[in-house]
Amino acid sequence: MEKKQSWDWNTDLKEIPVGEWKARFNWVEELNISPDGENIASVVNVDEAAFKICVNGHVGDTEYEKIWSLKSLPDNGFAAFVCADEEWTLIVNGQEWSSWFDFIWDLHITPDGKHMGFAFQKEGEYGMAIDGLPWNRVYSNMAGMTLSNTGTSAAVVQVVPMKAADVDGFKQGLFSVAVNGNTFHNTFLNIWDISFDRAGQNLAAGIRLDREAYTIVKNDVIWDRKFQGVWKPIFSNSGNVLAPVRDAGKWKLFMDNEPFWKKGYDQLWKITPSPANNDVATIVANHFGKWSVAVNDKVWKMTCDTMISDILYSDNGSCLVAVLKDKGLWNLAVNQTPWNLSADKVFTPCISPDGYLVAVVVEKKGKFHLVVNNKIIAGNYDLMTTPVFSPDQSKILIKGVEKGVYKRRVISI
Amino acid sequence: MSGNETISIEKSTDDAVENGLSRLTPQRVSHVINQVLHQETGARFKAYVDTCMRCGLCSDACSYFLSNDRDPSFSPAAKVKQTIWEMLAKKGKVSKDFLRRAVHIAHLECNVCRRCSMYCPFGIDIAYMMLLVRRICHKLEITPQYIQDTVNSHSVTMNQMWVKEDEWIDTLQWQEEDGREEFEDLRIPLDKQGVDIMYSVIAPEPKFQAGLIYQAAVIMHAAGMNWTMPASPGWDNSNMAMFTGDNEISGRIARTFFESAARLNVKRIVMGECGHAFRSTYDVGNRALSWAMPPFEVVHAIEFYHELLTAGRISIKKKFTKRVTLHDPCNVSRGRGLHNMARKIVNMTCSNFTEMTPNKEHNLCCGAGGGVVNCGPPYKKERMVNNRVKAEQLAATGAEVLIAPCHNCHSGLEDIIHHYKLNMEVKFLGDILFETMEKKIYRPEE
Repeated sequence: MEKKQSWDWNTDLKEIPVGEWKARFNWVEELNISPDGENIASVVNVDEAAFKICVNGHVGDTEYEKIWSLKSLPDNGFAAFVCADEEWTLIVNGQEWSSWFDFIWDLHITPDGKHMGFAFQKEGEYGMAIDGLPWNRVYSNMAGMTLSNTGTSAAVVQVVPMKAADVDGFKQGLFSVAVNGNTFHNTFLNIWDISFDRAGQNLAAGIRLDREAYTIVKNDVIWDRKFQGVWKPIFSNSGNVLAPVRDAGKWKLFMDNEPFWKKGYDQLWKITPSPANNDVATIVANHFGKWSVAVNDKVWKMTCDTMISDILYSDNGSCLVAVLKDKGLWNLAVNQTPWNLSADKVFTPCISPDGYLVAVVVEKKGKFHLVVNNKIIAGNYDLMTTPVFSPDQSKILIKGVEKGVYKRRVISI
Repeated sequence: MSGNETISIEKSTDDAVENGLSRLTPQRVSHVINQVLHQETGARFKAYVDTCMRCGLCSDACSYFLSNDRDPSFSPAAKVKQTIWEMLAKKGKVSKDFLRRAVHIAHLECNVCRRCSMYCPFGIDIAYMMLLVRRICHKLEITPQYIQDTVNSHSVTMNQMWVKEDEWIDTLQWQEEDGREEFEDLRIPLDKQGVDIMYSVIAPEPKFQAGLIYQAAVIMHAAGMNWTMPASPGWDNSNMAMFTGDNEISGRIARTFFESAARLNVKRIVMGECGHAFRSTYDVGNRALSWAMPPFEVVHAIEFYHELLTAGRISIKKKFTKRVTLHDPCNVSRGRGLHNMARKIVNMTCSNFTEMTPNKEHNLCCGAGGGVVNCGPPYKKERMVNNRVKAEQLAATGAEVLIAPCHNCHSGLEDIIHHYKLNMEVKFLGDILFETMEKKIYRPEE
């Protein structure tokens, strides 16, 4: 909030002509816009196997053989993976990290921007590097890299070697969880979907114990109950572990090894606790092919036939938004009420902290529009990214490209 | 190509099957069989069991039956008789020898090609019955070794060939660099949000056939498509778990795949030339998760190439002149009806096309599909013997080039051509398109 208050909410329009970059460089890659809308950047090619990052039209002196995964940062700068002399590192606002690797990928940034990490491979071994420091231990295989909001890192790692196609060896359980590089005692057949609590001190994951038995592990302690399947567990606000589990042919919500909701569903996933109270929402299919949202085991009256891709709460928990697709077109539903967007694409919604305002970028027939509370308030952009409400909620920041010009626009709502 | 070879063929097995059998108890066997047949099935299964009149009309549909000189044990109905009916009659109390044979029948003597369903007067889906047997084998842990390894790989990496995450991205970047020999500004955009197309492939492409990704990138670039490929798991559209009866891993694979498309905010998914992957994403994997239809439009390469050619986004510089024939993959012809569209592409790109007979939805299976080729080297010889009719069908065309728009078909047909010394070259439709297309960028105003 403090940061947003320092942003420029008074200048109606700022423009940067990004279209002309195409004439300056051999090619211009994806445009990336900072949260405050003041900076726009892209990877640009300047020569054969020579790349730079262009920010607001300016490029630095340093060229790299390759650059990818350019991302904006909470401090309104940019980070990207760069390659020089066939080694890779991360650059943050133009500064290289000191450690270089054979390959790096999967950039994670905490919401406050204080911590960053990625996966690395060096001489055929794998680990994570956080805030410039690689793990002390490396592994022969790694997946499911995760970074907590407080900078704790974890991944699924292979701790027992396996010969090619050794299915009996696989049965013994080759995988463990490494937290900041150090593994759990237990090994499992499979581990998926590592989830941290808010403090980054506890973690839970879905595991498979044998060909048929699935359950949840929390800090290396396995739930007693076994299930036909599990999806990603999530910590509740009070530190309990909630998990979708398949039991007796139905998907149910369990908490700390015990049934939490009474109903069983044809599908249940994406547990979303309210940030303000004890409400818990999930995406459900109450019947085959009929998708909806359940809050505290009560299903919304609304259903859609194709997909619900995400659900999001406002900070005060009063507003729950579902991103959905019905009859082939994308839409939002806000507190059970579908809007009438009929869009080809819907991007991540922005919800005001008090839940009164919901804004979302949609694409229709190749043009981007901004919709606030189910009304288009700006449109016909060639590109648009997620908007931001001003701290007093009287204005909205629009970030989009129109006819080759990037426009940072602040309008009253 | 006489049928004599069939007389001496041995029924192979492997360590995974034998070790699994050695661990089984009679109680475990009967429990699993009864659990699957009575708790995981419904009216469909009962209708199929009760309706079959043992007429045998399905026999002539089966390439195994035809290739083995009409040996009745290879008749589709006989495969059900030797597995499901026996399990039902004995209430699951079957021997290990019975199970060894059941593993073999369900995994090695049926491609789940569904040709027999068209010949059955009642349309009984015998492939479904064989997949039920595979489900039982999965739970008893007696699935053949090599296909089980692909499922193990799926469960860990979400791709079937143990391709590590850095290897995947590095391969795409390597193909992008190579592709710049065709177009200097060619890109394989990784994780590009909000584009129209997520392009997906099966894991053998980055593992062994990276040139196919190069070709696809050139086609996408020339056609001016707004596309991306995922940089994280969810890029592999194949699903071997669908073939081993591991429905839980199968669902997880499909979810990861479609959530990649959701994360990238794409309009549709275009996939390379793979038949089973299409069935997985269009039919089986989605439904296992309660998506009645795929949550994103899934476009097979056949449909995509047809769209590019008819829309003028790709134009043909010079037609392919060698004599070609076309193999119709079961999952996209019988399963999806794309066979006429495939012919249109062949006719737009080739000047000398000869049909094989039978064809289209009646085409004979390649003998590799349904996970049979994925059971690996121990079973290769019998796979060759079991599809002699395909070799005869191919030889009769006199074609120099066999077009097969499916990875499994490709592998199986390569083996058959080599085994029966047919002197044919196997190509994907994408190979032909790449070879014949104008290498210029589509401009709508031109």
